[in-house]
Amino acid sequence: MFDFLIFSLTIAGIYAIMALGLNLQAGYAGLLNFGHIAFAGIGAYATGILTAAGYPALVGACVGVLVAVVLGWCIARLGRQLGADYWGIATLAIAEILRTVATNEDWLTGGAQGISAIAFPLGNLPRPWGALGFLALVLALLWVLALASQRLGDGRFGRALRLMREEPKLAACMGYDLRALKSRAIMAGAATTAIAGSLYAHYMSFVGPDYMLASETFMLWTMLMIGGMGNTVGVITGVLLVQAAYCLVPFAKDSLHFGSDIAGALRIGLIGLILLLSLLWRSQGLIPEKLRKIQ
Amino acid sequence: MTSLPLSTPTPALLEVSSLAKAFGGNRVLQDVSFSIGAGEIVGLLGPNGSGKSTLLNTISGFEAIDSGSVRYRQQEIGRLSAHRIVARGVARTFQLPSMPEKMSVIELAMAAATSHHGFWETLAARSGVRAAEAAAREKATRLLHELLLTHVRDLPAAALSGGQKKLLGIVCALMGDPQLLMLDEPTAGVHPNLRNDIVQALRRLNAQGMTIVIVEHDMHFIREVCSRCIVLDRGHIVASCAPQELSSNERVLQAYLGGGAQEQGNAMEAAQ
Repeated sequence: MFDFLIFSLTIAGIYAIMALGLNLQAGYAGLLNFGHIAFAGIGAYATGILTAAGYPALVGACVGVLVAVVLGWCIARLGRQLGADYWGIATLAIAEILRTVATNEDWLTGGAQGISAIAFPLGNLPRPWGALGFLALVLALLWVLALASQRLGDGRFGRALRLMREEPKLAACMGYDLRALKSRAIMAGAATTAIAGSLYAHYMSFVGPDYMLASETFMLWTMLMIGGMGNTVGVITGVLLVQAAYCLVPFAKDSLHFGSDIAGALRIGLIGLILLLSLLWRSQGLIPEKLRKIQ
Repeated sequence: MTSLPLSTPTPALLEVSSLAKAFGGNRVLQDVSFSIGAGEIVGLLGPNGSGKSTLLNTISGFEAIDSGSVRYRQQEIGRLSAHRIVARGVARTFQLPSMPEKMSVIELAMAAATSHHGFWETLAARSGVRAAEAAAREKATRLLHELLLTHVRDLPAAALSGGQKKLLGIVCALMGDPQLLMLDEPTAGVHPNLRNDIVQALRRLNAQGMTIVIVEHDMHFIREVCSRCIVLDRGHIVASCAPQELSSNERVLQAYLGGGAQEQGNAMEAAQ
């Protein structure tokens, strides 16, 4: 039970970092990125490939962040001629292309089998200290990134993003270069999410193409929509709620005696129900974005 | 009837030459040429659909021009994007201003203080950023006070009335200290008391050296504020004259009233 709790919190922490990355793009900047999980996949694959080649974990994470940032820049530039909704579909397509490449390029990514035996950084510590230490690392990173995200969102940069999200014409009228703003938001979100991807690969000691399934992106969107987009506390609340729903179903399965297939469906159904209720009663999320007080 | 030249004797701040713009088959601007001198307040007039707002949009980079040129301070800006034109000191407001829901009035005004996104500066929270923020807040507070918006500073910008949104649009435009300010119907929907404040504010800004272009239907306002008027009709410039001569300018009257313009103009003048 204790191990399961640590596992759930660690996964929640990693997903919260990914959700913070998406929040920078979708919450503050209003960008419909439906391929967000690709950044996590790049972080995870860079970690898997480079640690398998004998490089330290930090190198894997840094390269993952760098590649994700470059991809983010390319995605932002690619979308300059597209409307917001078409751009969203393009991001989904890019993520799917990357997943297909990861599935087929065996020489680099291990193909459908993925890359396993990725070193767990604190694996030499006795149980449960290794897992606890990793959880502490994840939570420390989450704390730092949440503070940075909050600072960006409340400051001049976030102000520009929020203006671009709500009134792009007015933002341009004030002299903001919307393309540069969009690029910065996507690159910052990509870097944050790649860190989470790297952590995930280390924690699971594995990376495979399934990490980049489109459903993962939509799970992150669900977390944001339930918690509240454009609000750091809301985002983390949304992640915790969805993660709690994920964790509760196995317990219900044991006590109510239903099969694993039903449990899987119940998980998705429960999250769908929470999302639906949230949209009906709190359409802007449980902790919606508020006006910033300026003294 | 005396007409003022389309060019100006003072050094031209803005020169528009043979500007053309069409939307599909609809030629909204055709061979539009004029210049505006530094320190002028020019009224841009014309009946609905004459191309006034489109002209403002093309000068400010919100619409691409089809042909012709727009020169600002002797430099071509006709092909530049809106944010680059703003960076050169040209600001504008919109006819129907739309304001954000999740930003307060003061926050929106502060957003207009600088167009630099400041990603790294915000992240590092450098002392220079804090000082710039304090200066922006102070300036926004002063401008909001001048345009009588202090009491709504903490409300969502979208919650303001139409007239207040116009005033907030002017505040935002002024936050960047432009040399050329273009206002699209600044008094439409504004309370008469506020209208007088706008007149005073524009005169004050002009006295400080700001050049102002105003698209407006309110002739009294134009007469109070402008030194020269350019009149558009169906995409062409039909007159450039002093505001006092508008009601006696046959081409202007024809544009607004159609045939029998002179008689109707006399009647209009008599009625005024």
